[in-house]
Amino acid sequence: MASVPPPGERAFSIRSLTKAYATGGGLVHALRGVDLDIARGEMLVLLGPSGSGKSTLLNILGGLDRASAGSVRYGERELTAEPERGLTAYRRASVGFIFQFFNLVPSLTARENVALITEVSRDPMTPEDALARVGLSDRLDHFPAQLSGGQQQRVAVARAIATRPEVLLCDEPTGSLDSESGVQVLEALVDVTREVGATTMIVSHNAALASLADRVIRFRDGAITEIAANSVRRRPAEMVW
Amino acid sequence: MRALDRKLLRDLWRMRWQVAAISLLIACGVAVAVMAYSSYEALVAAQTRFYRETRFADVFASARRTPLSIAARLGRIDGVAAVDARIMETGLMRVPGLTRPATAHVISLPADERFALNRVLLARGRMPDPIRTDEAVALKTFMDAAGVRLGDRLSPVIAGRTFSFRVVGAVLSPEYVFTPSPESFMPDDAHQAVFWAPQPAVERAAGLHGGFNVVSLDLAARASTPAVLAAVDRILAPYGGRIAYARIDQPSHAFLNAELKELSTSATILPPVFLIVAAALVHLAMGRMVDAEREQIGLLKAFGYGDLTAATPYLRFASVIGLIGAIGGGLAGAWLAVAVMGLYRPYFRFPTLEPAFHWGAFLGASAAATTAALAGSAFAVRRAMRLSPALAMQPTQPAAYRIGLLDQLVPGRTIDQATRMIVRNLERFPLRAGLTVAGLAASLALLLGTQFVFSSFDFVIDHAYYRAQRWSDAVGFAEARSTRAVAEVARLPGVFAAEPMRTAAARIKASGQEARTRLIGLDANADLNRPLNAQGRVIAFQGRGVIVSRVLAAKLRLKPGDLANIEVVEGRQPQALLPVTALAEDYSGDAIYIDRSEFNRLMADGDLANGAQLLMRPEQRPAFYQAIERIPQIAAASSRDDTVASWRKVLIEAFRVNMTFYVGFAGAIAFGVAFNTCRIALSERARDLATLQVLGFERRECAYILLGELLVLAAIAAPLGLLGGNALARGLVAAYSREELRLPLILSSQSYGVSLCAYAGAVSLAAVLVGRRVWRLDLVAVLKTRE
Repeated sequence: MASVPPPGERAFSIRSLTKAYATGGGLVHALRGVDLDIARGEMLVLLGPSGSGKSTLLNILGGLDRASAGSVRYGERELTAEPERGLTAYRRASVGFIFQFFNLVPSLTARENVALITEVSRDPMTPEDALARVGLSDRLDHFPAQLSGGQQQRVAVARAIATRPEVLLCDEPTGSLDSESGVQVLEALVDVTREVGATTMIVSHNAALASLADRVIRFRDGAITEIAANSVRRRPAEMVW
Repeated sequence: MRALDRKLLRDLWRMRWQVAAISLLIACGVAVAVMAYSSYEALVAAQTRFYRETRFADVFASARRTPLSIAARLGRIDGVAAVDARIMETGLMRVPGLTRPATAHVISLPADERFALNRVLLARGRMPDPIRTDEAVALKTFMDAAGVRLGDRLSPVIAGRTFSFRVVGAVLSPEYVFTPSPESFMPDDAHQAVFWAPQPAVERAAGLHGGFNVVSLDLAARASTPAVLAAVDRILAPYGGRIAYARIDQPSHAFLNAELKELSTSATILPPVFLIVAAALVHLAMGRMVDAEREQIGLLKAFGYGDLTAATPYLRFASVIGLIGAIGGGLAGAWLAVAVMGLYRPYFRFPTLEPAFHWGAFLGASAAATTAALAGSAFAVRRAMRLSPALAMQPTQPAAYRIGLLDQLVPGRTIDQATRMIVRNLERFPLRAGLTVAGLAASLALLLGTQFVFSSFDFVIDHAYYRAQRWSDAVGFAEARSTRAVAEVARLPGVFAAEPMRTAAARIKASGQEARTRLIGLDANADLNRPLNAQGRVIAFQGRGVIVSRVLAAKLRLKPGDLANIEVVEGRQPQALLPVTALAEDYSGDAIYIDRSEFNRLMADGDLANGAQLLMRPEQRPAFYQAIERIPQIAAASSRDDTVASWRKVLIEAFRVNMTFYVGFAGAIAFGVAFNTCRIALSERARDLATLQVLGFERRECAYILLGELLVLAAIAAPLGLLGGNALARGLVAAYSREELRLPLILSSQSYGVSLCAYAGAVSLAAVLVGRRVWRLDLVAVLKTRE
């Protein structure tokens, strides 16, 4: 097991986290008593087969899903005890999301998609600044339909970091991109998260992403099977895809 | 069951609320058509049966004392198949329980009912014994309204003599299905009594032996009605004959026909509106369905389904919506037709009124409904057929948007992104926005366009009974009498003011046209009855000049300054060419007004009046009515309050049923359109909205994005709907206007308020039902799905 960050530097403290769903065939355990501490500014890559629990953990940390048991502390805040409004406020103020299918609003331009979020947050970057950081200064007024998949995902990255979030959650961010676009997106992601100092968690099926992380968490059957720390983080361009 | 059939069933279930909302509109259209045509058919069938059973006559005439030999002459007129000559006398009658005396018409029964026209049908009791002179049957509607029972003894004063008899039966008569009172044109059942007694009894009461004074004729199929009318007038003229008239002008029949015409109007106007709106909704819903299922369509085609087979489920989906609507509408229509018969039975007084089911209307409306649904789906089906499988199975590109007009008008950051999304969606799908606006506007138009009736009706009452005619009570004399009779009435208890009037039936001819009307002679300085112009100002008489009702002038193409040939059908039947000095705005009936002194000069029979208009102290009204019962010359009495009350009762009954349907159906359209618009928007935007919630948007902010579009469209539709409502009201005013009542178009602020509230209510209900879904979006699922 890799080293545990000291309490003052912890972004998340996860204890005995369990998530069970009732299905037609009985109870399915998506998470079985997970314990994990995540340091501020750390970049984690969560790997594992489908249904291993990595996305469920991400959803709970993002305030999208509720745990069946256990606790998740974010700083001084107990997320498992937050009411719905509290979780919405938490997401708005502290969390940025990047989705596999970009999830841009098709009727808004790149600039407006970012503005959609900056308009409702405190102390955001300007949309132009955020888009410049992902290399899209020349695509400000393009609608999603006028952008390639990689460019759309970079707009999504700009949208996610424009509010200077403390936490950035990425669910298969390169899952629907070719390798070239994937690398471009990851370059943008790594650079801007470093600049804003966000704690970043990337869920992926792609083991090549492991080399980007400070720590790699491997999941199987709802439990963590391995936590490995990288002594050196590679640049996305150096990755073996 | 084939897989595609299973898919169809599951799709129907998945989209059940949308299917229900569209089917509801189709059902409304079919139901209105079935209900209106069925009840119309039932009423016409009942009317026809009643007229046939009772041999309702084709031509009616009255005269003074006429020898029976003249009846035989009338029978020899070309085209006349049968003649029925009788005696009818009119007088006042006290009815226990009524303040105002009723006008009693006593009609002789023929010696042999089998050959009679206008036969009465016995509803209760028995017919009078032909040899007795103290038995009579009474009109059932009068008995019911006045509380008269079999065995009651009544004593009308006929020609100055009291005629006392016992009521032994209640009857229905084709001549008196409705009993419009002469001065208000509205039925006044309790005060319009009709009795039939054996001929010897009536002869004795009337002092008229071996003669007749009313006659009705049955015409052969080949007969020319105008020729017969002219011949009857010619033959009866020496006997004081009044103008003969055809069945179409017979008061009860005319009233009945106007009612039936209103029914057929609503049957024609409403159903097409529903079917067109439903077709538009099917178009929108199916378009969305094909968009959402393009991958499935591509898959079917990739596995070897033909274009048509892959598109068939959508055609069948539309047919099912059409059929559900048609069957639901047919059942609802049948049920409503029965329910409406229940409401109509006390109103249309036919001996039998059996509910009917108009198969033609049902099949026609169902075919139209299914065709409308299929037509609505045509575009979607064509798109499904044209989809190339390879393209369809590729991930969808985001919908292409562009900078629209509004973006250019509102640059920079003056509007927030959520509002921008709403605006761009409207600009991106203008056809959909247009159809939604049209549907919503149609519903509001229907709501507003049907609200005018009650305001217009209040206006007419105010105009006729509080501004033009300002009398509280009026009495009519059996014959024209010296104005001393009016002075006598003025001395009766409670009379505050009395003014004489003289009326007679008249013919007016101009521009080669002829019309029957009433000539009303009023004193030049009369206060209690004054003709008013369109602006509500009193029109003064000028010498020999006459003032003509605007509607009558329009019919004869008369304008002020023209000369009109006027023939009085009374007394020596004078004719004169008189100048028209002004047009009067009458909303009910029509008349020619003349200075009474000029009237008298024309008649050359002295300073006479045949009625008096009175202002009465209300508390002394009972004493006044008791007093006039003893005055044989007074044959009729009317009271403004009673008249206004009977107007209100009759019209509100007549329109209430229609109005309730209109409001309900218009609400259904507004709800159906709004619900579908929101539902489609939700299906398109669920993923965007969930994404926004994940990104920290509050649910109400997401609801704003979803429902904002509907609110904008509803706001755009509102002024259009109000304009449309105005136009519809104009059309309905024309359709609902009849001889006895022409409704002006009055849309009060209350009408606007009520319609806008109902409209907003229906739209809000749809918005709330769909908006709730924003609270139930699955945030986790959305992260993993692609459009």
